[in-house]
Amino acid sequence: MNAITAEKMVLALIGGVTFLIVALLFSILGVMLAKGLPAMHSGFLFDASRDFGRSGGIFYQLTGTLMLMAVAVLWSLPVALGSVLFQTEYLGAGKFKNLLTQLTYILNATPTILFGLVGYIFFGVYLDAGVSWVTGSLILAVMILPTLQVSIREAVEALPEKYRETGMALGLSRPTQIWRIILPQSFYGMVTGVLLGLARAAGETAAIMFTATTFSGIQFPQLFSDPVPTLQTHILVLAQEAANPESIAQAWGAGLVLLGLVFLLTLAAWAFRTRMVMESEL
Amino acid sequence: MIQFKNFSASFGGRKILQELTFSLPANSITSIIGASGSGKTTLLRALCRMNDRIENFRVGGSILVDGMDVCRPDTDVYALRRKVGLIFQKPCVFPKSIIDNVVFGIREKITKKDYPDLAEKVLREVFLWEEVKDRLEEKATTLSQGQQQRLTLARTLAVEPEVLLMDEPTSSLDPKSTAAIEKLVQSLKNRHTILWVTHQHDQAQSIADRVLVIEKGQVLPLSAPIVRLVKPFTKAG
Repeated sequence: MNAITAEKMVLALIGGVTFLIVALLFSILGVMLAKGLPAMHSGFLFDASRDFGRSGGIFYQLTGTLMLMAVAVLWSLPVALGSVLFQTEYLGAGKFKNLLTQLTYILNATPTILFGLVGYIFFGVYLDAGVSWVTGSLILAVMILPTLQVSIREAVEALPEKYRETGMALGLSRPTQIWRIILPQSFYGMVTGVLLGLARAAGETAAIMFTATTFSGIQFPQLFSDPVPTLQTHILVLAQEAANPESIAQAWGAGLVLLGLVFLLTLAAWAFRTRMVMESEL
Repeated sequence: MIQFKNFSASFGGRKILQELTFSLPANSITSIIGASGSGKTTLLRALCRMNDRIENFRVGGSILVDGMDVCRPDTDVYALRRKVGLIFQKPCVFPKSIIDNVVFGIREKITKKDYPDLAEKVLREVFLWEEVKDRLEEKATTLSQGQQQRLTLARTLAVEPEVLLMDEPTSSLDPKSTAAIEKLVQSLKNRHTILWVTHQHDQAQSIADRVLVIEKGQVLPLSAPIVRLVKPFTKAG
């Protein structure tokens, strides 16, 4: 076999694999649209669900999901940002810095159900937060921490060294450099990290299923100790336990909304990331 | 006055500068020439402790700036860097307005109403005022390379350093911008001690009161052939 034939075979192989991935994505999207669109009606996003999810909309499930995601990011962002700045601005290149990076990757690869289990024991039982939105948001916060940390670290590390050096040469203290150079110049990268963290939180189900959410009984939590309805729980309960087609259609509709939410966040993250690359090339 | 006393610098066991001992008088221009990798830039960066972030970078001996040993671990590096300003080979402006770039290093120390006066003062010093006075709010990245280099010099002057270290500041500029920077540096000599690193022997001779040649981490002795480049210090303004 000559080199040109070999190259054509490799090209066909990798092209086929790429096509497979794209086809898979579009087929999921197609199925979701075909099954989910019939459930969409004018009030689907803004009405409360009725008859145990058989009719009505998903307003409280959607707001509950958004609330859990947003609060999780609020918990997680300061920790992720602090650890990134410590790692990039205060630690020199060395074994300890590498160890921290590896630990972040290990945390990222930990099965989410373990986060749920350990998180529930610590936050729910030990700190007495019970099955509540607070417990769920704290568990989600720990789960999205590595995603946020890695994204923000990449943004800060992508910042051209010339900006740091210029700040140093002007006699700016390190906190001033962070405040005036590092944070503003890596802003778009940080937003990308937050959006990816939100998308990850939106996609997580297992860890919050038994620690934070409820299917019925509560619309919007009034107390710290209240659970919260979410799209994930709504879809799972309807898909597993409902027998009538209306409920199944509602589950597909909620699934489509959740998928749309993740798509939107990912697209926004991509847009901000493009902006970040442009800024770093200035 | 800047004094190097048995100053050495090494990186990971490799000696970059070796046992340098010499003095530089205040309010003078000293050019430093030498081949790539001879240690010129390391010498400048050591003067304002810019290599502190680099692991395995070690120094020995001392460098005194007005009697202050910059190598001591307890030296206030932020105060040192305000006293000893560094201009880089390639101009680095922040993606902000021209006036924001000018006051970048001094913003915390002055009020906003003082920005225009300070900007005018230092931009005039670097002969840039007439070119930018009507567009101070425009992005600094819209300026030409030569203008950006003068802007970075204005930004450094705004911090009021006593010493100016210039690391091949004209290497990325066209002849017209180079001439502007050279003229500008001559005008700054009365109030600043200037060290100018360059590869160009002609430039070193034309702008400097004194030329130092660095080779393999050492300053060549005056008896070396390069002595012909050294102008008597008293002749130059």
